Amino acid sequence: MDELLEQFLIEGRDLVAQAASDFDVLARDPGDAGTIDSAFRAIHTLKGSVCIFPMGPAERVLHAAEDALERARKGKGALDAGAVAGLVACLDAVDRWIDEIERGAIGADAEQIAAKALARLPGTAAAPDAAETDTAPPDWLGPLAEREWQAIEAADRPLTAFRYAPDPACFFRGEDPLAIAAEVPELLTLAILPAEGAWPSLEAIEPFACVSVLEGLSAAPIDAMRAAFRMVPDRIALHRIDPATADTAPAEAAGRTNAMLRVDAARVDALADGLGELVVAVNGFAALAERAEAIDRTLAAGIRTVQADIERVAGELHRSVSAVRLVPLAPTLRRLPRVAREIAAALGKQVDFIISSEGLEVDKQIADGLFEPLLHLIRNAIDHGIETPDARAAAGKPVEGRVTLAVAREGDAIRITLDDDGAGIDPARIRTAAVSRGVIGEEAAAKLSDPAALRLIFAPGFSTAPEVTAVSGRGVGMDAVQAAVERLRGTIDLAGEPGRGTRFALRLPANALTTRLLVVEAGGDRYGVALDQIVETFRVDAAALMPVGSGAACVLRGHTVPVLSLAALLGGSDTPSATAKLLVTRAAGERVALKVDGFAERIDALVRPPGGILSSVPGVTGSALLGDGGVLLVLDLPALAA
Amino acid sequence: MSVRVEGEVILLVGRCQAEDAEALLVALQESAARIVDLAEVQRMHLAVAQVLLAVRPTVQGSPTNAFLARYFVNLLQ
Repeated sequence: MDELLEQFLIEGRDLVAQAASDFDVLARDPGDAGTIDSAFRAIHTLKGSVCIFPMGPAERVLHAAEDALERARKGKGALDAGAVAGLVACLDAVDRWIDEIERGAIGADAEQIAAKALARLPGTAAAPDAAETDTAPPDWLGPLAEREWQAIEAADRPLTAFRYAPDPACFFRGEDPLAIAAEVPELLTLAILPAEGAWPSLEAIEPFACVSVLEGLSAAPIDAMRAAFRMVPDRIALHRIDPATADTAPAEAAGRTNAMLRVDAARVDALADGLGELVVAVNGFAALAERAEAIDRTLAAGIRTVQADIERVAGELHRSVSAVRLVPLAPTLRRLPRVAREIAAALGKQVDFIISSEGLEVDKQIADGLFEPLLHLIRNAIDHGIETPDARAAAGKPVEGRVTLAVAREGDAIRITLDDDGAGIDPARIRTAAVSRGVIGEEAAAKLSDPAALRLIFAPGFSTAPEVTAVSGRGVGMDAVQAAVERLRGTIDLAGEPGRGTRFALRLPANALTTRLLVVEAGGDRYGVALDQIVETFRVDAAALMPVGSGAACVLRGHTVPVLSLAALLGGSDTPSATAKLLVTRAAGERVALKVDGFAERIDALVRPPGGILSSVPGVTGSALLGDGGVLLVLDLPALAA
Repeated sequence: MSVRVEGEVILLVGRCQAEDAEALLVALQESAARIVDLAEVQRMHLAVAQVLLAVRPTVQGSPTNAFLARYFVNLLQ
């Protein structure tokens, strides 16, 4: 994907999220000036960034939304509930087009959608006030305000900022831009900046080409400024700054630079990988210390101290890197209300969708992986949970259904609940449906408790939709949701009451999930072993293995280490070979070597806790899903070797 | 001619016009270590000003012109 588009997708969605949360506030309080300002800025910036892409309708819709907000800012057209709903409709359209442009191009229906959204905005803009130009903060204003913040703070009245970009050839016409600037009334500050971003080098200076841009602040009103620059009207930009509302004061006088930095997640992951390697490498000190023991005990103690220090520092680094991977969950969540509104509209249902979340941060992987399952659950709630307006009225319920998504932190986990006040799920109906679809036998179904029966909806191939609607019933059911949640090492439960509604409760880890695994082969199968359990790996000649009792041992660095066959430990049979490949681990403080048939690749994988039949197998910490969909058992070496 | 070179000092005198930018530039290209004296400047064209801004020579003296003294000299710091 082209870099510009990638950047736009990130920033554009951030801006949509910002505007959406502002509109949420405005829906409750349409007169909140600070929020109107914030929404205006977000919409204005978004309008500027959609221009780069073939998104004409988005530009028009945003322009109209910007006008409406501008009028509200100027007190020329207060917002009401209808206007805010119109703004939301505009933003929804744009959000949708951003999704479409990510897939290639905006849809053919864009013009219709734009027309509909525009129709919902209050009356078209009145003619702009002739005395006010460039109402939105232009790009150059930010750096200027940053540079001249002291002058702006010290001002007791509105100022006029100017940017004068003379024509490069103006010297030949006898113009002197500096003389024009000298005539500016009530000039407070002046800066002469290189037009190209940097001054030319001594050798490259063209003495008769104007390469400067003049920017500054004046206390004069805008009309007086226009008069000062009347000779060069097409070269001048003016903007009013009101110190009372200007947010130009640096957040921290100490560091007036932007403290945010966008970093490609892959780089952070590479850092984390490197740390994993470091931890394994540090393990080498243990062997070194043992060898030193034979020569000099103080030296060995010294090496162990160094090892402990490095391990501690690596641990701290690891925590820092994990913290870097934490991202706010808000952008993921903020995309949901629009989708919920679209789904409800498509199904002819009235739904009030409410999100309550604290400003949670979760590991990037969780944030990325959560959108799809939540979307599915919301779709399911609106499609199967919330009844039609008629049915709700007949049941004596409010016509508008309510779907609430609540996200909260619980220690190291996040808890997400999705409630709807719809028809609820009837266990009896689920049993019948599961039996008729061959998901479960009749007897088995009858034995299930009600909560267990409800869980049948997660079974593959289960779907209770009596008809295939445009929204659900696309052959992707709740089993996909459960799989997605489990991929994130989470759990999902549901509860409900017929007629009263349904609740889905998810629990997910909040922190990093992947474990570095070394894939090994033993007894014809492949297993994963967590790298941090491996002290070292090496190969020895099979002849070097000495039979000891029923097992074997070998001498490693002057120490006798018991050698166990991994295949045999796992209930298979050992394959003899000329070279023995050994994994050294520590069990109960002692080093133990496990013989394997081969070392394969190192992978990063999500290790899921063992479930069902696996939980009773000793020495298995869980399973990992491989990229190809296969499952790798992850072994707990110390437990196996104990 | 408002640009006078006296050894290691370049004196800008009176009203510096656009064409003086070239003389100043040549003088600085001969030796960028030269000091530019602004004490005698009455007016300065942007062409001259931008040479000073680009080359950033050491300057001495403050112009008699109030506008330059207040708004321009600080830009050379």
